[in-house]
Amino acid sequence: MKKSLRLGAVVASVAVPTLALASCSSTGGTTSGSTSGVSSIKVVIAEYSKDHTKTFWDAFARKYQKTTGVKLNLQIINWNDLDQQSSTMVQTGNVPDILNENAYASYAADGLLYNSDEVLPAETKADIIPAFVKSGTYKGKFYGMPDLSSARALFYNTDLFTKAGIAKPPTTWDEFTAAAKKVTALGNGAVGYAQPLGPEEAQAEFAIWLFNNGGDFKKNGKWTLNSAANVKTLEYMKGLSVTDKVTQNNPGSTNRTDGAFSLFEQGKAGMVVGFSPLQGALGTQYPGVKYAIAPMPSGNKAAPQTYGVTDYLMSFKKKGNESAVKAFYKLYYSPTEINTWIKAEGFLPVTTTGLKQFGSDPKLKVYLDTLPNIHLTPTDDPEWDKIKGTIAQNIGLAIAPNGDPKKFLDDLQAQAEAGK
Amino acid sequence: MVGGRLRRRSRDSGTASIAEALLWLGPALILIIGVVLYPAITLVATSFGRYSITGLRSGDAGVSNYVGFLTSPDLPRVVGNTGVWVVAVVVLTIATSLALAQFLSKSFFGRRFVRWAVIVPWAAALVISSQLFRLIYDYYHGILNQLLLALHVIRKPIDWLGDPHFTMISMVLVGVFVSIPFTAYLFVAGLNGIPADVYEAARIDGGRPWQIYRQITLPLLRPAILIGVVLNMIYVFNSFPIIWILNGSNPGFGNDTMITYMYKLAFRSAQHDVGLSAAAGVFNVIVILIAVAVYLRFVNWRESSDA
Amino acid sequence: MTITAIPRRTLRGWKSHRRWVMPLAGLAVIVFFVAPYVVMLLDALRPSGEVLATPPTFFPKTWTADAFVQVVSDPAFQNWLKTSLIVALSATAIVIVVAIPAAYFTARFRFRGRVLFLGLVVVTQMFAPTSLVVGIYREFYDLGLINTYTALILTDAAFNIAFALWILQGFFAAIPKDIEGAAALDGCGRVGTMFRIMLPLTLPGVVTAVTFTFIAAWNEYVVALTLIQDDALKPLTVGISSYVTAYQQNWAQLFAASLIAIVPVVILFALIEKHLVGGLTAGAIK
Repeated sequence: MKKSLRLGAVVASVAVPTLALASCSSTGGTTSGSTSGVSSIKVVIAEYSKDHTKTFWDAFARKYQKTTGVKLNLQIINWNDLDQQSSTMVQTGNVPDILNENAYASYAADGLLYNSDEVLPAETKADIIPAFVKSGTYKGKFYGMPDLSSARALFYNTDLFTKAGIAKPPTTWDEFTAAAKKVTALGNGAVGYAQPLGPEEAQAEFAIWLFNNGGDFKKNGKWTLNSAANVKTLEYMKGLSVTDKVTQNNPGSTNRTDGAFSLFEQGKAGMVVGFSPLQGALGTQYPGVKYAIAPMPSGNKAAPQTYGVTDYLMSFKKKGNESAVKAFYKLYYSPTEINTWIKAEGFLPVTTTGLKQFGSDPKLKVYLDTLPNIHLTPTDDPEWDKIKGTIAQNIGLAIAPNGDPKKFLDDLQAQAEAGK
Repeated sequence: MVGGRLRRRSRDSGTASIAEALLWLGPALILIIGVVLYPAITLVATSFGRYSITGLRSGDAGVSNYVGFLTSPDLPRVVGNTGVWVVAVVVLTIATSLALAQFLSKSFFGRRFVRWAVIVPWAAALVISSQLFRLIYDYYHGILNQLLLALHVIRKPIDWLGDPHFTMISMVLVGVFVSIPFTAYLFVAGLNGIPADVYEAARIDGGRPWQIYRQITLPLLRPAILIGVVLNMIYVFNSFPIIWILNGSNPGFGNDTMITYMYKLAFRSAQHDVGLSAAAGVFNVIVILIAVAVYLRFVNWRESSDA
Repeated sequence: MTITAIPRRTLRGWKSHRRWVMPLAGLAVIVFFVAPYVVMLLDALRPSGEVLATPPTFFPKTWTADAFVQVVSDPAFQNWLKTSLIVALSATAIVIVVAIPAAYFTARFRFRGRVLFLGLVVVTQMFAPTSLVVGIYREFYDLGLINTYTALILTDAAFNIAFALWILQGFFAAIPKDIEGAAALDGCGRVGTMFRIMLPLTLPGVVTAVTFTFIAAWNEYVVALTLIQDDALKPLTVGISSYVTAYQQNWAQLFAASLIAIVPVVILFALIEKHLVGGLTAGAIK
């Protein structure tokens, strides 16, 4: 997008919702009160799990209403439909007050969001782990308030490792390939490495591997999608299935949730990149699987990098909702609230207080130690919101037997640069 | 369109004033205009707008969304897929449903249970049936491979949904499976509209069963077949969950039809653009409109309905 | 049963074999259409962790009805079921009430704008609901009907009128004019003629329209997803999607809930199915 267009977008974006809301406030859920602010706020939350999301947020809504006197209208939407639903809300000028999403920068670029100076108590901001403040900051302002985080690590099936005679988890790519070969050689449906490169979340799988080869998506403000390290990484990833044949069938068409994870949960996969919710499922639904967790193996002999993700609770600028939004954040970031939810869903904290509180849990130690130095994707660049979609949708083609990793990354780089 | 056929009929009871017409048609008109036509206009308006990835309108786009959509490199493949999908599902559905309807309109012990069973795939939500078939087809944990291996039909498992040779056919089979009940019952209703004395006369004339079917039943069933084909064309063309879910693990746009492609343009593509997607939506309606018109012209529908 | 009263083909032996060949063929049809849902049932009767077992087993290794118990006793599920019933029944009632007069009138009378009306009806069917969702949302938002049953009922009714109208019109048009004339002689007005004489003759069409509308409303997803905010007001289709998320998969519950959701449709159909036959008989026309 050209600079001038973006400026136009910002101007339009500020004007459109304000107008729409001014005209519709009597019919919509958010009735404007007098100078004291709004009488209700609309909060759209992504559904992480049936068991915990609604339970927590219902209780939260009651508490919020009790302390503020403002009604909290809650809408829980599953992740599959969230992009469409939020887009519908923005298109019709009926944005919620709070939206839980996995991207924020595009909304910030459109001028729709409050930044932390406007709605986040200073002590709350100070409590958020600096890495997350950094990734939530767009053009010098902090818009992307994290709700929770997750970090990835290498899960390996210890039974399969023992059977294959592998003494310790791999620390280099060579060791990784060797270990995967040994597990695959066990036969009986054993898969060395379960590699999810289908459209669900492939950008995460790619990020994990390229971060551990000294690569990145963006460095010093410039896109480095087709850097030599990244090309080498993707070629290595392709080689795992095409030449080494140590992955499951057709990794480019395997999603994480019902593909790679399920193979590991069934005890068929030697290794998979997992996170704490997988740990939760293994503990409750698949107790028979014996596994351990290790840092990612490195392609460049450097210290392992941990890939992390946060989702966001961003707040939309609407007439008179500032104090209600501020009260929302204040309550959400109080340790009893945020950490209760994060614990229930099996994710990782985003605050220093949370780090301390979770520190006692030995199961989470492997992640918590890495959290302050977590390696995140360039979520602060609106262009990334499109790039990650392209990676997720198309990387499976690049690692297919007839795929061309370099060309894929060159095209990606061109897309990113054209978007600037 | 449909009106033309009826206008020629001698069975019209007469003419009526617009005022009287509004009285009888008013409620239907209000609902259709209010709930379907108005959003359709919104769709057209959206297709001429420029939108950011969040859905925020940043200005007018003129026809650039249409140009962008029509010049998209994936479009030929997607159009081809759509053609295969619609033709295969509709043809197989109609053929199977004709036979099934014939069977269901016979009287035999247990027919009631058969009718209840046939309704089940229709009664189940499409999203769920698609999920179910995704599990059944799965390379690793699908029961289909297991069954075929046990029966020695195949020697090694097939990647029904991931192998490009099988993806479309797997989806088509599900499409046919869930379309049959509706179509078959449409035909059952149609068969029951055929007066029995017509058959008697044919039989007295010494017609053989197949002759009677071809020369009596099929022509009398033509109006029902016509409705069945046109509605199936529309519904199959617009069918989203089957392809979305069964093709959900595959990269790129290699198995998408125009409906899933439209959705991906808005939310799962490099463009990520609801304006572009709306242009695709308008284009889709035009395509299906033309397809239906061509079909009706092809079967010469005015003559067909004089039964 | 009119059709069966017809003398059958004369092929020797068929008559005697027919007694058991037809039921057997019927059984095969049942197996064909129900088999996938038997797989679903067997998946609902095992622990969720076993649903994706590799390699799969047809019968559960561990039988359990926990999923059904959990789903049925879940107040959220009861709410979703309630919404679905209210919305689908209301929408179906509206469609029938609105479509019958419109179908009768367009089948029987000529008036200006008739072709336009029928064209409009067909064309509105061609829009994919997904592409209309934004406009629908905007409209109901302006009307203050977001998060209400009314919005869902009106949408489901509007989207299914076209089909009902089309199919009923065909049935009305097929009724010979002399029947109506006789009714008029007996002193029935237009409305009376429609209800007392014509409607019984179009019963198979009405049954088809009812079945179609009810199922369409029962299974509608994207509009309900967009218009309903409160969990308690969600219909089944939207509600049950929460059983399987990217972070937690309760396959058994999803399938148990889905199977329960099929039951009301089959019951409704079983109640009206017999009218699919014999509405329009030769005897009535003679």
